Parts: sequence; structure tokens; C-alpha cells
Amino acid sequence: MPALALQHVNKVFGHATNEVTVLNDVNFEAVSGEVSLVIGPSGSGKSTFLTIAGGIQTPTSGSIVVQGQELDDISGKARDALRLNRIGFILQAYNLVPYLTVRDQFTLVDRVKPKGNLNASALRHLLEQLGIAALIDQYPAELSGGQTQRVAIARALYQNPDIVLADEPTAALDSARVKVVGQLLHDLAKEHNKAIVVVTHDLRLQEFADRTYAIMDGQMTLN
Amino acid sequence: MFLALREIRHEKLRYGLIIGMIVLVTYLVFILSGLSYGLAQQNTQAISSWRVDRIALNKDANDSLSQSVITKQAADKVKLTSHEAYLGQTGVVAKAKGQVKLSAQFLGIDRDQLIYRRVKVTAGHKPTKANQILVDDSFKDNGYRLGDKVTLNAADGQYRIVGFTHNAKLSVAPVIYGSLGTWRTLSHLTADFQASGIASTRSTFKAQGLSTLPLSKFINKLPGYSAQNTTFSFMIGFLMVIAMVVIAVFLYILTMQKLPNYAVLRAQGIPAKILVTTTITQALLLVVAGLAIGAGLTLGTVLLLPAGVPMSFNVPLLGAVTGGILLTGVVGALIPVKVILNVDPVSVMGG
Repeated sequence: MPALALQHVNKVFGHATNEVTVLNDVNFEAVSGEVSLVIGPSGSGKSTFLTIAGGIQTPTSGSIVVQGQELDDISGKARDALRLNRIGFILQAYNLVPYLTVRDQFTLVDRVKPKGNLNASALRHLLEQLGIAALIDQYPAELSGGQTQRVAIARALYQNPDIVLADEPTAALDSARVKVVGQLLHDLAKEHNKAIVVVTHDLRLQEFADRTYAIMDGQMTLN
Repeated sequence: MFLALREIRHEKLRYGLIIGMIVLVTYLVFILSGLSYGLAQQNTQAISSWRVDRIALNKDANDSLSQSVITKQAADKVKLTSHEAYLGQTGVVAKAKGQVKLSAQFLGIDRDQLIYRRVKVTAGHKPTKANQILVDDSFKDNGYRLGDKVTLNAADGQYRIVGFTHNAKLSVAPVIYGSLGTWRTLSHLTADFQASGIASTRSTFKAQGLSTLPLSKFINKLPGYSAQNTTFSFMIGFLMVIAMVVIAVFLYILTMQKLPNYAVLRAQGIPAKILVTTTITQALLLVVAGLAIGAGLTLGTVLLLPAGVPMSFNVPLLGAVTGGILLTGVVGALIPVKVILNVDPVSVMGG
């Protein structure tokens, strides 16, 4: 059973003459233990795909199934709980709460979801792996773009989610960091049996993917 | 609470300015209400100390003790019991050698009647002779001492201060208690006149041929009392309304600025309930801090103010002001709740 599946998903914005089809009959599967890459240029519908897959946005038609649970069948609160407990989001922008230090970004997760998060040593290991252990008491404004992105990755992984949805996680990183993040996501999938979905236009991540989808003008194909 | 406190700690200047604004508003409202109540008290302190229910005055006096004169003939028609007392009021200027002149209200009272019994002495004793007077503590604050000989208006006689009494003010002037005979002398009246009015502790008291009014009406008819109270009430009321709108608008703007952060948190699955609780908690923290500092400043001001400034505090009034400002904070935080509940996480996702 796939950890995440989209079946015949369509998303249309606007009405009548202003109608724009952003996703057109999209079928997608992400399996635990694998990294799925969705590659497409800017404006191809990548982010819309990701928000629909994570239950933040509803499709115009089609179904989304997360670990056997159809999202259409559950309430808004249950979707919140699903995102908090099962899905880790790595967003493209505004990833961190600006008035919380790196440490407090994790404390916030603990306060909202006291159980099931990484333990202290696992968190320390993760931070060291991402090269941000020394930044623990810094505020987001004191971090570079790449550091912010890595903290956001750590924050999402700290929740120990079954599915990780990442929106351009390497956009602000140099090639060396891209390798670190790519390897981290790959290891996470393999060693911890997570389903990792990455939408990106960064082809450097392809070497870490188990399957690659291409998205163009709302249409998705499995390469 | 966690998010609320962390944000305040990080954005010290922004939240400091908001707390500063609440402090100023609170301080202004507290000081104004204190002055208003203090001034109202100074109009009626002496009357309150008599603990009477009704006052009988001359029918043509327009319910004003200072304008009323009751003839002996009219007074004789009223059967006085131990619950009633004569009062003779006239405005005087008191002066003593080497002391400043003080404008005061002279009240002539009968030594055998209840007002004499109810007046409390803080130093010395009550007058026992016609040339003795008991004066308000403010005389002491102005340098007058027990035993000082005082002249009242341009009258020939001298009156010796034999005692001080606390909080004896009438129409914002200190009271001098003396005999009814002295009142007649100061008012240039003959023995055909008995008093200005009759005070009674009986709620059913009625004086034949005189106008008898309840104490509340009598107080409202004191010269300037109603106008002054109404003015202060309007000032405080308008100030409260304006303060409420300003605080509410500030808190609203503050919340709206945080919507992108809230959108991120919503995307991460943080329940909207936590964000709403955070917003309300933060508003309450700001308002409570503002109220506490404002109250402290008010207390400091009261301690530094000269004794002559009529400042007095009424707990229910202060409670209402405090409650109103707290409510403002909650309302200001509640207005954007719908926006928080509907914040769209998609708005912060890239294209």
C-alpha cells in the first residue's frame, strides 16, 4: 500500500473565461522507504500538487489517500492532526517562526505534540549532520538562506513524520549542501522507512531519488 | 503562552511601545477618576460624616442650604426629636495672626443635637463655648494650631481653635464648626432666625412649612456638584471609549502582521485553537502589564502629590475601569479570530 496516493486529481482555479487548470488528471504514488522526486519548472503546478497531497488544499476532483485514509472523509481538525503527526512539511519560504530561536522551533513542536518526536541525541545527530548544531540559539533573522532551509528541514524531520513533503528544499543550498540534504532524505527513507516526496527544479537531487515524476502544465508523468 | 511570551521577549521595542501606550491610557484614566472622585468627596465629606437621610430647608431656597434661612417661628412648628439637628451655614474667610487666609464654610450646630455628637475630633476637643470652633484638618496643613485665635470675615469677635476634625469639607471648602449663635452673628441675623436647615436621620422626616428633600437630591443640588460630576463622567467615559478603540486597533494590527507566521504554523498542523489562545493570552499579558505599571505610576503620583490635591479612589470605580481596559484587550484580540481561523496556509507556499 502506498503511503500517499493521488488518483485522478484535478485542480482548477477561477471561473469561466478565467479558468486555469493547474493540475490535470494527476496520478501519483509515494511509497515508504523511497524518495519520490517531482521535477518541473516554475509555475508547473508543483506547489499546488504538494499542498493538495498534504491536505492543505482540496482538489477540484479526484482523491488523496494517506496511509489508507481518504482525506475527503476526514474533518479539518483531523487533517491538522494528520499533518502534525504523520506529515512533515518543508516549505519553500517563511519556514521558521521569526521570534523563536532554532531551539525554540523544536520546543514548539514538543509543546503541541509532546510524543513521538526525535529524542535529544537523535536531534543533536540530525543538527550535526545538517551542519547547524552551532546555530541552536540563533534567531532565523541571524541565519543565511541555506542555514534557514536546513533548520526548516530539521524542524520537519524532528516531528518524526511517516511522510515528508518538501518544497524546493535545496533552493538556497550550494552543491555540497545539496548532497548532504539529498543523502539525508535518502537515508531517512531507507533507514527509517519514510516516504519522501520532493518537488523541485533542482536536477542535482535526481541521484538520490527512487522514482522521478515530471510535471509540466499540470500534467504529471512517471519517468 | 509559550509563543506569546517568546514573541514579546523577542520584539521588546514593539511590545514595549504597546505596553507604554496602555500604561499612559491607564494612568490617565486612573488619575482622572481619582481626581473626579476626590473632588466629589470634597463636596460632600462633611455631609457624609453626619450620616443623615433628609434635610429640611426654606421653601424658597431652591434646595440650597447656603440660600436657606429658617425663622424661629417656622422652626417652632417642626417637632424635633433626637434624630434631628439644626444647621446654620455661611461662607467665611478665616484669618489668624501670621497665617494665610482660608476660605471656609462655617457650620453652626447645637451642642445638644446629633451632628455635634457625630462629628469626630482628631485633636483637641469639641467646642463648649460660643467663642470656640472646631476646624477641618486642612487648617492644620496650612499652619494653624490648637489655641490659635481666628477672626471670621470682618466680624469683631475672635474664635479660638479648640479642635481639629478629619475630612470635613463642604463644597470643596474646609468646614468650621461653631455655635448657631456665631452663625447668626456671621450672617448678620437676629435671634428671630433659628438655622439654615434641619438635618434628620429619619427617612420619613417631614417638616411642616419647609421643603424636605432626601440627602441624594440635596447633594446633587450643591452648587456646581452635578455639573462637575457630569463633566468628569463624560471625560472618563469618552477617554475609556477612545482608549478601548485605540488598544483594540493596535492589537488587531499586531495580529494581522503575524498572519504569515500563523499560516506557516497552520501548514505544519498547529491547531488554530492554539493560535487563537496565543493571541488572546498575549493581549491579556500586554494589558495586565500596562494596568499594573499604570496603577504603580498612579500610586507613586498620589504619594508625591501635595495634600491639597483632591485625589481619592473608589474601589468599584477602579474595578470598572480596570475591567473595561481588560475587556478592551480581549475584544481587540478577538476581532481577528475569524481571520486566524481562516488563515490560508497556501498563501505562504511558493509557486
